[in-house]
Amino acid sequence: MANEKGITIIGVAIFFLLLVFFPKFIVQHYLLISILFIIAILLPSIIRFSRKSMTSREMVMLAVLAAIAGVSRVPFAALPSVQPTTFVIIASAIALGPQSGLVIGASAALISNMVLGQGPWTPWQMVCWGMAGFIAGLLANTFFMKHMAWRLIYGFIVGFIFGWVMNMWIFFSGFGDLTLETFVLLNTQSFLFDLAHALSNVFFLFLFSMIWIKTLNRFKEKYGVFQEDG
Amino acid sequence: MLRGFRSFHPFVLLLYYIIVIAGLMMYQHPVFLTAALLSIIFVNLILDKGVELNKWKYMIIFLALFVFVFTPLFNQQGNIVLFELFSRAFYLEAVIQGAMIALTLSGILALFTTFNIIITSDKFLYLFSKFFPKWALILMLALRFMPLFRKRLADIQDVQEMKGVSMKDGKLREKAQNGMLFIQILLTYSLEEAVQTADSMSARGYGLQKRSQYEAYLWKSRDWAMLVFLLLLSLLTLIGWKSNKTILTLTPELESMMLQGHSWFYLLSWILLISLPIWTEGKEVIKWNFYK
Repeated sequence: MANEKGITIIGVAIFFLLLVFFPKFIVQHYLLISILFIIAILLPSIIRFSRKSMTSREMVMLAVLAAIAGVSRVPFAALPSVQPTTFVIIASAIALGPQSGLVIGASAALISNMVLGQGPWTPWQMVCWGMAGFIAGLLANTFFMKHMAWRLIYGFIVGFIFGWVMNMWIFFSGFGDLTLETFVLLNTQSFLFDLAHALSNVFFLFLFSMIWIKTLNRFKEKYGVFQEDG
Repeated sequence: MLRGFRSFHPFVLLLYYIIVIAGLMMYQHPVFLTAALLSIIFVNLILDKGVELNKWKYMIIFLALFVFVFTPLFNQQGNIVLFELFSRAFYLEAVIQGAMIALTLSGILALFTTFNIIITSDKFLYLFSKFFPKWALILMLALRFMPLFRKRLADIQDVQEMKGVSMKDGKLREKAQNGMLFIQILLTYSLEEAVQTADSMSARGYGLQKRSQYEAYLWKSRDWAMLVFLLLLSLLTLIGWKSNKTILTLTPELESMMLQGHSWFYLLSWILLISLPIWTEGKEVIKWNFYK
């Protein structure tokens, strides 16, 4: 477990170093870099995931959670940019661990795009939601996720980072040079949406994360699933 | 029975999309990009008369305009000043750059509308299961749960409305809170049900042996032919890119936009590559009219 975690963390670190020091290189080789980025982040966990022997109960539970994350947009369609998908992913990851969080997040992005239509944003959405789950799962047993205040801050940050990374796909299709100016311009366009996303994460985490985690923990105990990831 | 471009093996289709997207990003030349966009729009028309493209057209136009307007504003590299506005120079080079990015972006988006028509979710899952068998199983289960949960949510909403809990009126806060309550109910309801599904899977022997797979798509000889053809064209695409014949040089000096010599040849092979669906589908149209 420690090994895969290490590889993932190194991969993310390399990517951000590249982003900071060689933005030009990244912009010019969009395809190569974004594929490498996705591989560096997702592959170690996916390999571990496909090697692991899982009971059918665990598989079906993951599928249920991914489907709920995808479907939970439906009743909220009337309220603009309020959607609990991110909340579902974060709360489930806290209860079930980083591996499951990653799978739930990435699967939710994939299946909701299968219904709504795939686009160049699909891989970015998979990485965003997958990472939101993965990090929440990693921090589950630290004070970060145990204290409500930190959990809310995490939800708020995730809301904004999600929006920023989702704006990046336009960038990497070649939108000029990656300068601070263009970055800010692009993100002010979506500021209100990102704010709504961040605030709804905070709102849902504040009111429902306790009961959600309790429900999932109860299921873990009742049916004896996901015992090792904690 | 699938016909035309859709009937090729999913791997060949995936390769086509990877090559064309890579080509769109490499060939930064207005003539090449315009030719590509027109071909892709034509592919859309021949596949479903442009129905799918119609759904996305506002998003594509908006993004293309956004990029086209804002690139010259920020890109300050160039020699030829077109005009000045608010003490900011607008360069011809930057305008051309903006047009090229807008063309690339709309080309990629238009290509994805054909992707959604051609790579249906069963083909997508087939490709996925080749690389990640276990994850593909979860996706298949989740994909089946989606419509089921939608129905369950509607039931839950009806029942709760009788009790006076609804998302129809009240403040935003109450609406969101009630909506989340429905999701909460859906969670416990579905998890209990899911355990039954899982136990029934175990009872049928899931996990005892290596999972076997049903091959829904057979590799036919025409797939070989298409694969060889695709690889040849992509090789030409790559050579054209390496030779710089298919890229418009903007700095230090703006190149003429007219094509010369070999460029025409690369343009031909580029159009040939993108329009593969047109002539595979076009053959069917001609056959249909002939036999009628």
